[in-house]
Amino acid sequence: MFEFLFDPRYYPDILQGLSLTIEITVFGVALGLLLGTLLAIGDIYGGKLVRGAIVVYVEFFRGSPLFVQLFIAVYTVPAILNMRIDHYLLAFLVFGLNSAGYQKGYIKGAMQTIFDDQMAAGLSVGMSKLQTLRHVIMPQAYRIVIPSWTNEFCSLTKSTSALGILGFLDLTGAGISIKGGTWEIFPVWLVIAAIYFVWITSVTKIMDVIYERKKIPGVELSMQS
Amino acid sequence: MTDYVMEAKNVYKSYCIKGEEKKESKVVEAVKDVSLQIRKGDIKLIFGPSGSGKSTFLRCMAMLDIPDKGEIYLGDECLTAKGVDLNKARARIGFVFQHIYLFRHLTALGNVELALRQVLKLPKTEARKRAMDALAEVKITECANKYPSQMSGGQAQRVGIARAIARNPHIILLDEPTSALDPELTGEVIDTLRDLAKEGTTMLIVSHEMPFAKEVAEEMIFYDEGHIVETGPPSLFFNAPNTDRAKQFMTRIINRTTRE
Repeated sequence: MFEFLFDPRYYPDILQGLSLTIEITVFGVALGLLLGTLLAIGDIYGGKLVRGAIVVYVEFFRGSPLFVQLFIAVYTVPAILNMRIDHYLLAFLVFGLNSAGYQKGYIKGAMQTIFDDQMAAGLSVGMSKLQTLRHVIMPQAYRIVIPSWTNEFCSLTKSTSALGILGFLDLTGAGISIKGGTWEIFPVWLVIAAIYFVWITSVTKIMDVIYERKKIPGVELSMQS
Repeated sequence: MTDYVMEAKNVYKSYCIKGEEKKESKVVEAVKDVSLQIRKGDIKLIFGPSGSGKSTFLRCMAMLDIPDKGEIYLGDECLTAKGVDLNKARARIGFVFQHIYLFRHLTALGNVELALRQVLKLPKTEARKRAMDALAEVKITECANKYPSQMSGGQAQRVGIARAIARNPHIILLDEPTSALDPELTGEVIDTLRDLAKEGTTMLIVSHEMPFAKEVAEEMIFYDEGHIVETGPPSLFFNAPNTDRAKQFMTRIINRTTRE
């Protein structure tokens, strides 16, 4: 049943699939963090127009399936721009933009729990709003958001299977490919699931360690006001 | 050159309290045509019923709330004029909050140090030294490496005071610095304020600590319903205030204090 495990012909697919899944997840979470922070700040500070644009952005990326977003990015965007754009690049961007839609919510939520009094305190010592955001609000918000990032990481890892629609080989794609060669349907998926499981569990453990290391007494989700 | 460290001229400020439904929202006129002058070394104390707008007025003085009308002067500079760098202005004003508002992710030392580094742009060692000096001034160096959640309310408020004085501001505004503390912790904060008073620190304090007021304040300001009702030295208020409102208020507050 599990003979394919010892068949070196299948190793490149699994390695390639796993590495694409990891790369795109790490990139997606990182870009999502950067954009999500900007969106959260824009949503809190922006005027009506900015906030409206952010609502449209977030609802698009949260409200439509990831494969549809990938499809639009790869087949529509280059046509509209009348440019050839690398499909991998577009796929990476979609994951980042998609993750930003979710992360904006986490970050904004965290910022709001710490916002008013800490901003007043920052201004009262002569710092600008930007300095207060950078040195006071965000260091607290990011600490609070770490558990949500762990969730985002897990969910994005598994979303990479949508890449199959573009013919990219992620971890799920590797499974499909091996299954095609062996016809051992259940064992193949069991192994693929186990790889997902090991990777996601490791990341979760690492994130837990980071959370504990960075933890500051009094800066937690259930903060007294 | 003006004689005043700080001055408020005909300041107005109202804000809207949003109710559950639209018609329940109401506009509160917290500051109605308030003027006040503070000279170097003055200690003035604002008191009055809660909800009368004292805190809003103090926040306007610090430009943490922007007045709707009127002017705030810091020395010769008009802070309410257009194009003023409010961050620079606030750096010269110390503010102590009723609910303390320490930066939760920083230790006591970090709380005091942050503005010295980011606003005054002091090098690390000098900022640290000045922060430690400020903590020493409020006698709380033993808490230097504690986070706000690990301190008592009284300790935290003294750190709040250290944070306000570390930049050597021209004036310190204190918004009911003891009223959110447990009664047995107010003493240590009052002692700290008394020390500052002895050193000639210019202060405008919103407070109901009457014995303290009697001891250090040059002038007391009775504030009610958005404006200054009566001003005078403590002796005036403790003996015979001119207005009935002040008389009633003083009777109530002195009875309360003696009962305790």
